[in-house]
Amino acid sequence: MRVLVADDSRVMRQIVIRTLRQAGYDWEVTEAADGASALEIAMEMDPDLILSDWNMPELTGIELLRRVQASGMEIPLGFVTSEGSTQMREAAEAAGALFLIAKPFTPEAFRDTIDPFLA
Amino acid sequence: MSASIDLAAFAGTDPILTLAREVFSAMIDPDPAALRPWTGDVPALVEATYAWVDLGGETPGRVLLTTERATATRLTRGLLGLADDEPVEDADLVDAFGEIANVLGGNVKSLVPDPGALTLPTVAATSPAGPVPDLLHEVRLDWRGDVLVIALWSLS
Repeated sequence: MRVLVADDSRVMRQIVIRTLRQAGYDWEVTEAADGASALEIAMEMDPDLILSDWNMPELTGIELLRRVQASGMEIPLGFVTSEGSTQMREAAEAAGALFLIAKPFTPEAFRDTIDPFLA
Repeated sequence: MSASIDLAAFAGTDPILTLAREVFSAMIDPDPAALRPWTGDVPALVEATYAWVDLGGETPGRVLLTTERATATRLTRGLLGLADDEPVEDADLVDAFGEIANVLGGNVKSLVPDPGALTLPTVAATSPAGPVPDLLHEVRLDWRGDVLVIALWSLS
């Protein structure tokens, strides 16, 4: 399983990667420091999953999702964001996101959210 | 901003304190007793360090964190899982302290009806410039003897 982690915070990328490991996901991880980089890397590597922040410079997470969809590539994307309101969850779902994990998160929250999509 | 937050929904507890505890226990310090309200006066801060995010919309506001630089360094170590004696680079301190403001701001946004967009975090050695906003709510916290102040300001 190859996952692309997109977040403009290097610290948060490290926390997401650490939490993936704590959740038991021994995945190959690639990092992107903003939405535009994430799009470029995603087009090149065709990851199995993108975990993306919502609020990023260059290209927001939802813009990233739309650009990936517009490219014709079918790469599942889940948000990992500090904004977990009902409105944001509805917007994420309407845009075709797989899920939304709100910060702060735990390894258990990762497992509970991601496991159902791995079957 | 916080005038629109339904405090009754939190059964008498301070929602900002609750949020701060969630953030600390999940990301910084797993000991739930490590973060508690500060008692007494807040001392003058050595090398005060500020992190904030602004919320747009009909009730614009700001979530501002204030602490000492040494505390921001310790918070960074906590977030990154570093040992107590490991050095912390400036870029990581700015990133980590800003991300704490971002996570708190995002969760505060969830408490506000019809919120606008959240800005990216700013971290500085001086408090935010511009017109003096109205203080809506302030929580003074004690994290293992260090002081951390979380303030909500109205930008209306």
